[in-house]
Amino acid sequence: MSLTPVGLEHYLVVSAALFCLGVLGVILRRNLIVMYMSLELMLNAANLALVAFSRFNNDLNGQVMVFFIITVAAAEVAVGLALIVALYRKRQTAHVENLTTMKL
Amino acid sequence: MPENFPQDLAWLILLLPLVAAIAITLFTRRFPRLSAQLSITAVVLAFLASFSLFLLMQEPLKIASHAEATALSWLSIGDLKVELGLRIDALSLLMLLIVTGVGGAIHIYSAGYMKDDPGYARYFACLSLFTFSMLGIVLANNLVMMFIFWELVGVSSYLLIGFWFAKPSAADAAKKAFLTNRLGDFGFILGIILVWATLGSVGFDELQMRLGKAPEAWAGVAALAGLLIFCGAMGKSAQFPLHVWLPDAMEGPTPVSALIHAATMVAAGVYMLCRMFFLFGTHSVWPASLGFLNGITALDLIAWIGGLTALMAALMAVQQNDIKRILAYSTLSQLGYMVMAVGLSGPDAAMYHLATHAFFKALLFLGAGSVIYACHHEQDIWRMGGLKKKMPVTYWTFLIGTLALCGVPPFSGFYSKDEILAVASRHSVLLFILATAVAVLTTFYMFRLFFVAFLGKERSENAAHAHESPKVMTWPLVVLAVPTIFAGFWGIQAFVGHALHPQEAVHSGNFLETLFAPFSHAPLAALMGLGAVLFGFSAASSLYANTEKDPLPNMLGGLSRAMRDRFYFDEIYSGLITITHEAASKLANWLDRWVIAGLGVRGVHGSTEILGRALRLVQSGNLQTYAFLFVAGLVLVLLYALN
Amino acid sequence: MLTSIILIPFLAALAILFIPRNFRFVIRVVALAATLITALIAVKLFLGFDAATAGAGGYKFIHKIPWVESLGINYFVGVDGINIGLILMGALVAFAATCVSWEIQTNEKLYYVLLMVMTGGILGAFASLDLFFFYAFHEFALVPTFIMIGLWGRGENKNYATFNITLYLSLGALIALFGLIALYLQVPAPQRTFDIVALTEYFKANPMAVNAQHFIFPLLLFGFGILVSLWPFHTWAPLGYGAAPTATAMLHAGVLKKFGLYGLIRIALPLMPSGAQHWLSVLAILCLGNILHCGWVAMRQRDLNQLIGNSSVAHMGFAFLGIASLNLIGITGTVLVMVAHGFLAALTFGLSGYLRTQTHTLDMDKMGGLLKKLPFIGVALIMAMMAGCGLPGFANFAGELSVLFGAWKGAFGHAQWFVVAAAWGGLVIGGIYMLRAIRDVLHGEGAEKFPDAKDATLWRKAPFVVLLVALLIFGVAPRLLSDKIKPAAENIVKLSTAGAGGKSFEPLKVTERKVARATQSGAAK
Repeated sequence: MSLTPVGLEHYLVVSAALFCLGVLGVILRRNLIVMYMSLELMLNAANLALVAFSRFNNDLNGQVMVFFIITVAAAEVAVGLALIVALYRKRQTAHVENLTTMKL
Repeated sequence: MPENFPQDLAWLILLLPLVAAIAITLFTRRFPRLSAQLSITAVVLAFLASFSLFLLMQEPLKIASHAEATALSWLSIGDLKVELGLRIDALSLLMLLIVTGVGGAIHIYSAGYMKDDPGYARYFACLSLFTFSMLGIVLANNLVMMFIFWELVGVSSYLLIGFWFAKPSAADAAKKAFLTNRLGDFGFILGIILVWATLGSVGFDELQMRLGKAPEAWAGVAALAGLLIFCGAMGKSAQFPLHVWLPDAMEGPTPVSALIHAATMVAAGVYMLCRMFFLFGTHSVWPASLGFLNGITALDLIAWIGGLTALMAALMAVQQNDIKRILAYSTLSQLGYMVMAVGLSGPDAAMYHLATHAFFKALLFLGAGSVIYACHHEQDIWRMGGLKKKMPVTYWTFLIGTLALCGVPPFSGFYSKDEILAVASRHSVLLFILATAVAVLTTFYMFRLFFVAFLGKERSENAAHAHESPKVMTWPLVVLAVPTIFAGFWGIQAFVGHALHPQEAVHSGNFLETLFAPFSHAPLAALMGLGAVLFGFSAASSLYANTEKDPLPNMLGGLSRAMRDRFYFDEIYSGLITITHEAASKLANWLDRWVIAGLGVRGVHGSTEILGRALRLVQSGNLQTYAFLFVAGLVLVLLYALN
Repeated sequence: MLTSIILIPFLAALAILFIPRNFRFVIRVVALAATLITALIAVKLFLGFDAATAGAGGYKFIHKIPWVESLGINYFVGVDGINIGLILMGALVAFAATCVSWEIQTNEKLYYVLLMVMTGGILGAFASLDLFFFYAFHEFALVPTFIMIGLWGRGENKNYATFNITLYLSLGALIALFGLIALYLQVPAPQRTFDIVALTEYFKANPMAVNAQHFIFPLLLFGFGILVSLWPFHTWAPLGYGAAPTATAMLHAGVLKKFGLYGLIRIALPLMPSGAQHWLSVLAILCLGNILHCGWVAMRQRDLNQLIGNSSVAHMGFAFLGIASLNLIGITGTVLVMVAHGFLAALTFGLSGYLRTQTHTLDMDKMGGLLKKLPFIGVALIMAMMAGCGLPGFANFAGELSVLFGAWKGAFGHAQWFVVAAAWGGLVIGGIYMLRAIRDVLHGEGAEKFPDAKDATLWRKAPFVVLLVALLIFGVAPRLLSDKIKPAAENIVKLSTAGAGGKSFEPLKVTERKVARATQSGAAK
């Protein structure tokens, strides 16, 4: 039995699937931390896509971009989690439905 | 003498009263006597100048029918050329003499009558303004200038009628006078525009020339234009149906009533008709919407309106008890005569009667003022009486005035009234009968007034203590009595007739011929006139020679009440006004508040607010909603881009 | 010279900004001096204006400074017969308004700054011959209105009135702006300019496409019309003037309202003749709405300011009627009405403001018999009311007479009877409510209700005397104004009746044409 070689499209499908899961998580989950994790999932899906393209086009620029993204993601996580903790301390809730003071 | 002297003199006559009015208003308000002197000097000088002008112009007028003074261009835009120019001809000379002469007498009389009034200076300023405006109407040489001064006369009379403005009835009377006049002016200016649009000019000379060429466009609008211009005269001369302001205007001081409502302002309407007589022709074609009038000329309508006014006013006068009101209605009635004469194509007869009427009516009003003054401002005739011995000058001059008004020969009123009756007899049997009936009524109510107010016993305390008025008030009475007696022999009609009917031959004989002229020229009219006087006098003397109270209400019942209440015209009018104008304004106000402002403006405001509230629902504040919307938008954009 | 008229008020505003707010007297003197000097210069310009020696396109006292070349924006001011009268009127009314502001006792510094900015804006708008500056100056004049009514206004409706007037007028200005920009874009790109003179020349040579005209003209008509309280977009006027402080009402009703009419005459009519002729019948109907409807509404008012406000809207109907007739007599009449009404509105609002300070109410049912106590103000009010119902001797009569005569010759077909009768009927209605106002406020009894009412002293009389004298001078000698207006108006009429066979005169029969030709040759002499 011969295995089909893993091509670019397989990576992209996985990346897309991860991205959609991330989007669904942001839209549908109510806990802030889980929303945040979904956000990270979306970022990593983008990373995967970039690495795959870099590998199959033999262009190292893609992988360099991934490093940038990882760094930015890390910084973002730090700031974001700090915000969530502060918000939790103020509002005693991490449920996004209770945090609606941004309405007009 | 420089060539332009007559013209300059005319300008002087016009401007003297204006200078007096401005000087009093700006400078001498605090000096009442000086103000009075300024005003009186101005009008007396104007009279002397008018008389000189009259003498100067005798020769030139035999050659040319009129002279024009230099004109200033007031407004000149395209086809609209309005100038301020003066026209001197027989008509205006006659009116100048009347206005300045009678006006002068009244100015002097007022100096005594208004002596104790706090508004003395203001009175004379208004009086001078009035004189200026009236002279402007008389001397105007084009329609728009006449209209300008027409309106100025209206406002001067407003100021004079409402002189005692703190009194509500006076303030209301002034307002009524001005508004009724305005209503007449509504038609007047439409007529002027029609004339200008069809004939292309507003100057009297120009118009006469163009009419002479008989443009066919004029035939279609002549009748309508004539009627509209008559509307102005209706307002100013208080013809039916715009007569309601004249009796109320008696709220003004008595000299004002004499000046405005006897001698000058109301005569302006008749004067204007005579001036514009050349415009009225025999055209009887009306525009489509007024087609039912086809066949009737404007002059016919004018004659009938004049006749009806005369009759109606005479009936109302029969049952009035205020001396000034009786005289006011008498004025209305005589004005009706004049207007009727114009309508019957007798403008010279109308001007003749205007002149004699000015003299004797002013005399009567000033006499009434003297009586009122003597009886301590009592105006009800049933509270006077027995004044013959106490006020001889007033008594005799009033009698002379009454006889002239009733048309007793050889006083001036007989001749002028006879001319009108003669004209009526020549043109319309119905109107002749009507005019004769009015003559009967005139004699009746005037002698009713005379018997009750002057003869018999004193009917009140005030009458018992009456005494003759001061000289400054009785001298003008005597002065006015002179023309009242003799004006029949001065050839006024011939003088004016020459200007109005230049083609007709002028007949004026010696004194005896003039004395009996009516009997030789139009015997029917003269005899009927005399008969009317006798009939009226006998009726009046039998009813009123020695009564304590009025017997007519018992005899006539409801009719008498209707006459006293002026046939309820005022009530009908205020009802009509309530129905039309008040309704229109209520409707407009409702529209304004509820539809335009309510539905429109607040509606826009409201719907914007509703839209805003609807859109606000999108802002839920929920983070996930926002995120969902981001993603949805992104998907849409991707779909669009990839398609 | 002309620039100084515009600049002095702005400089005065700047100067007042630097004066400490306690020095109230100094602030007032600076403002008075600035407006007085502006008024004197305006009078000098008016007297020195002679249409015969006009420069490019018929304008004099031109001052042009290029600003943004790429878009064609220049600072371009000049006068011709039409705006010289308006500038004179604006300057005199501004002076009167400043005099009348003695009643403002709080926050004077801000008030006078705003008043000066408003004055400069108005004068700049009238003098400007560049569309951009035309609009910008108008906004300079409009925004202070908002603040002034909001801060110093009176009545319980004050806040509503403030927002109403500002939003409504901004809407009008916005619609007009659309029109102006659309107009600007009609010119091909290399020649695009905001310069009115150049635009007039361009469109004379290459008339705008008819569809474009039929689309842009109503934008300008309704945009400017809202600014002038064209019926049915007029309800902001009585409301706003009732709530405004006296000087604002004087400046707004007297002067700022004329801006829209001026825009129509200067821009809309000559540049879009076909559009004008197409839309004029609509304008005629609407202006009758102004005259009659607002006249009837005025009859119902018991508040003096509301009555005057409605009557001023009714007078604007006359101005519109003159425009709608599209002939020389009509348009000259319109400009005469504009100038005369400016003086009149300022006078009446000034007088009613004074009355309010003495009686603390403007409800006519509560006032009465005031002529005895306030002889000067009373007589001035009577004269103003008489002028308002078209009494000869005041400037309004000359204007209204011309408008009536011009309207008869307008292209209304058989409706001319109705139009002219309705317009003149409006003056009769005006007489009714004006006289009723005099009767209720000044005549009759009631003087004892106001024991403290004092007549105007010498300084307080000054603004009213200035305005009355102006009305009387132009009333007795209207040629002083109409002669200056005529050549410019002729120009405008020629441009606006082009291309449609000049429908503005009725067809005359043969004999009359001869008569008319004789008159024309007589006039040309």
